[in-house]
Amino acid sequence: MLGKNTRSIGALSLGLVLAVAIYLVPGMTGIADAKEAFAEQVFAEEAFAKEVQAEEAVEGEGEPEIEWSQDVFYKDWEGNPLKGPVSGHPAPELGPTDYNTYEFAPSRIILWVANQQHLYFGSFVLAVPIFCMIIEFIGIRVKDEDPVMAAKYDRLAHDLMKVSLTAYSWTAILGGVLLFTFITLFPGFFKYMAGIFRPVMHVYALMFLAESGVLYVYYYGWDKMKEDKFLKWVHCSLSVLLNLIGTVLMYLANSWATFMQAPGGIDSQGRFLGNIWHVIHSTLWNPVGVHRILGNIVFGGGIVGAYAAYHYLTAKNEEERAHYDWVCYVAMFIAIFGLIPLPFAGYWLMKEVYAFRQQMGITLMGGIMAWLFIIQAVMIGLLFFGANSYLHNGMSRVKGSHRYMKYCKYMVLLLICCFTMWMTPHTIVMTPAELKAMGGAQHPVVGHFGVMSAKNTAVNLMITCTVLCFLLYQRANKKITVPWATVGNCWITAIFIGAAANIIFLGVYGYFLPANQRVGLSVPQVTSTLTTLFAGTAINISMFKDSESYGDIQWGTQSKVGTYAIFLLAISFTWLMGLMGYIRSAVRLFWHVTEVVRDNSADAYTLTIGEAGKMLTFNALFVWVQFVVVFWVGSLTAKKIPAKAPEGVPVPAQQQQ
Amino acid sequence: MLPEQHDILFSFLSILFATFGVFVFGNVIQNCREREGLNTTLWGGIFGIFAITLFLMTVHMFSLVQRDQLIFFFSTYIWTILLLLLVWGVFFKSNKIESQSPPIIRGFFFWTTVSVLLAGYTNWLPQQRSDPPPKEAAVVGDLTMEEFAEMGRVIIFGAKQVAGQKSIGKGQCPLCHTFEAGNNIGRCPNLFGVEKRSHERVKEERYATSPVAIGETEPAAGIVKGKYDQIPEEYKRQHGPDELTGEDYIRESLMCPTCYVVKGYGKAGDTKSPMPVITKPPISLSRTEVNAVIAYLQSKDTPGEFAAVTVPLPQDDAGNTGGGDATAEEDSGGDEEGPVFVTGKEDIQTMINTLGCPLCHTIPGVEGAMGQLGPVLHEKINAPKRIKDPNYKGKATNTKEYVRESILEPGAYVVFNEEAGESFPDGLMPTTFSEQLSVQALDKLVDFISQTEPPAGS
Repeated sequence: MLGKNTRSIGALSLGLVLAVAIYLVPGMTGIADAKEAFAEQVFAEEAFAKEVQAEEAVEGEGEPEIEWSQDVFYKDWEGNPLKGPVSGHPAPELGPTDYNTYEFAPSRIILWVANQQHLYFGSFVLAVPIFCMIIEFIGIRVKDEDPVMAAKYDRLAHDLMKVSLTAYSWTAILGGVLLFTFITLFPGFFKYMAGIFRPVMHVYALMFLAESGVLYVYYYGWDKMKEDKFLKWVHCSLSVLLNLIGTVLMYLANSWATFMQAPGGIDSQGRFLGNIWHVIHSTLWNPVGVHRILGNIVFGGGIVGAYAAYHYLTAKNEEERAHYDWVCYVAMFIAIFGLIPLPFAGYWLMKEVYAFRQQMGITLMGGIMAWLFIIQAVMIGLLFFGANSYLHNGMSRVKGSHRYMKYCKYMVLLLICCFTMWMTPHTIVMTPAELKAMGGAQHPVVGHFGVMSAKNTAVNLMITCTVLCFLLYQRANKKITVPWATVGNCWITAIFIGAAANIIFLGVYGYFLPANQRVGLSVPQVTSTLTTLFAGTAINISMFKDSESYGDIQWGTQSKVGTYAIFLLAISFTWLMGLMGYIRSAVRLFWHVTEVVRDNSADAYTLTIGEAGKMLTFNALFVWVQFVVVFWVGSLTAKKIPAKAPEGVPVPAQQQQ
Repeated sequence: MLPEQHDILFSFLSILFATFGVFVFGNVIQNCREREGLNTTLWGGIFGIFAITLFLMTVHMFSLVQRDQLIFFFSTYIWTILLLLLVWGVFFKSNKIESQSPPIIRGFFFWTTVSVLLAGYTNWLPQQRSDPPPKEAAVVGDLTMEEFAEMGRVIIFGAKQVAGQKSIGKGQCPLCHTFEAGNNIGRCPNLFGVEKRSHERVKEERYATSPVAIGETEPAAGIVKGKYDQIPEEYKRQHGPDELTGEDYIRESLMCPTCYVVKGYGKAGDTKSPMPVITKPPISLSRTEVNAVIAYLQSKDTPGEFAAVTVPLPQDDAGNTGGGDATAEEDSGGDEEGPVFVTGKEDIQTMINTLGCPLCHTIPGVEGAMGQLGPVLHEKINAPKRIKDPNYKGKATNTKEYVRESILEPGAYVVFNEEAGESFPDGLMPTTFSEQLSVQALDKLVDFISQTEPPAGS
């Protein structure tokens, strides 16, 4: 597996592809059905509420006691604003007494730090169980045919959970810090939020208890449930349960943030309209949830990768070096698999933002937040460079990779071209003299690369290139022997050339269409990219059947450049996650809850890009200092147990060296 | 962040580097103890001094704020760190120690360098802070129609124009609309010629029926389509003919965008407009502001000519109660002064008093302007000196540009108060003047302040 066993590569790849599909497909394809079902549901709810109202009117003094008001977001089946019974107080007009401050920093910055640190750790502790679930499952599946590898997987999953356990307590502490920060610095706003989300907050706390319980049984029961086959499956099932509870926890917490950005379930005065589900699943809830799950996987992969890379650099012997080199690869493999669909989840999120309020979307993409997206472009470019650099360096330790290494330089060239196009701004800030000299806000030549046609083309080509690089890495040490090898290669070549041609054609075609039609071209472009990912990977893996090996991957020979590429990826993931979180949150501008609760504090301004950048760097550095401490604490009880095959089980020849 | 507050990133970095100093000291002592022949006293002393110096410098960092912290960090602290690294390297080399700095330190420096470079990149980009818009503009004095239309232009575009960047005012209209002939970004209709179209549109068959028929209530906005007399009281037209006019169409478009959706610019088969209701959050324009925007839209295609404008001036508007949201004003007790809008027609004394400059500044030539919180305005002689000041980071090249920049972006240069021995407080001066001044008012103010100088004989 992952360099040693073909079948388990397939299992892991397919498992990840399926996992991604499970998360993405229902959300992206089922929107129409969901809307229809929703229309029926709200119609029924409204009819029921009216019935109740009528009954109360009859029972009472003839006058309905319930006041009805229009929802700020939800529509009924005719497209009119949904009405609901007023069940809460109006949003407060916050004044100076609703805010508290410290002298050393603005309250909003302090809250940002508290929130971001909690989110970083929360992301990590939600991601690790996903890894453990997959790794443990693969370990169980390969146990019969390769007990040494199975033991390695089991050890890896167990080690990750050990680190996660310390991080879990840390996350809870940071959650407490965040809660106190809200209560002490923004009491007026928190009171309103608590009034709306009261039941959700209690369910959240109870879910935390459930998460803790399952986590402790899962971790502390590891050794006891290891040997018996049935118990091992039960243990693996616990990881599924752990992930389910974790996902529910995250979605509940997401609802607070998405409500603040795009509220629903309340009227224009901020009064709760009696349906807590409406408040929870406002329009951004699903895309933010999917985006965060993928982001967590990427971020978790980055952390585990950096952890392993550090241990690789400090390894005392060949065995350790080989182990951590392998762990680096597994972590990067998972992170990159999470990274590839991430932009598509981002598209979905932005689409929903535009659907909620067009001016909010334009503020993001063409208003005051637009420069932050230029920074995001730079960061994504950095990520793709880091990922490709790691794969290129990693390929050199694979016997047989010489067949593909010659293509690396062309891929780097393509990445540089796309990266340059990707980060070219549409307009830049200029002095009037510069503006005059250039003949307008857009450069006559370079300006063409600043529009979405060029950018969609560039980013899709970068993703396609990364997929290609990964496929080459997968097959680097394999001599394909299936009878349909030529046909398979032709298909893969055709898919990639066809996808690239389609992406470029649509990109160029977009220049000849008006903006509102041009937007629609991104769908076939993304489809082309996804085709290379899914179809290319599927064909590639299918071709590994009965393949001959040029030799094992030389684990433990990773170059330092490759190792530092992992560090670069980890930093980039951390910084990018902070940046995107900031963008998503800051687009509310001077609103606590968009259009409902105005931020009347002295800190209601939106930071300059420079100030925000410094805070992002601080948050990224601060969280990594904490991660180092957590890893160090986790290592205090570490016992190094070499992976050993159980007695009486034959070890495959390739593992005996 | 306010200038009297700490720079969180650089305060944190100084703590990290102080910890690094202690680590290096421990590392050197450990190496000295493990190896024979090394001068523990000498090396321990050198690195002990480094550790103590870094600790003291970190303490000093916390006695500074913002800009001073950065100056100290880059002028002194970072060089001490580099010197420490150099001496540490000398220690390893001179004692032929093979295993040098551990990976955690290399990783730390790699991490810190990449992260700080990213922060540096963001500071290299254009900086623009966005302040919340004033809740509602109040008009000072009587306006001419030209000034009223200018007020509308400021609501749409803001008063501050940055070359190469889209200027967006409180109304946020340019996010989607364009205003010049032939310019179309495809998001929302181009508003060139909207005045002429407004009269024709109310007679169109499509207007009468789509997406809601005249006389029906558009549910999202709660406006009865095509019924100017059923518009909510605080925005209702109280002048002009008893029929639907072009002005009514423009007002309706602002208050009820879905009452009529221009073909090709709506959602769901052009039955839903993506535009927000302009009298509701987040824009929330008042009656006077809506009328000002209409005045601008009706006059913008004929510069200097205002015959097409049908909205009344605020002083002539029978429906103008002095505020857009009477209820809100009542709730707030009515004693809170709203933000102001100065047209430039007032005399300079009135303008300066209205804007509140005398509260903080001493301004020669302005009666009662004896404020002490900000610098004395002797800009005729001070501005040229400040532009040449090495600490000046603004973009002005002459006195007028400097004064304009100081009004619109007070934080671009913070004057040093020589009497107090420290800078005047940054962040105290409002950054909302761009929302309160018309272009003419700003020019007038800049002209005046650029000529301020100490009284003769002083």
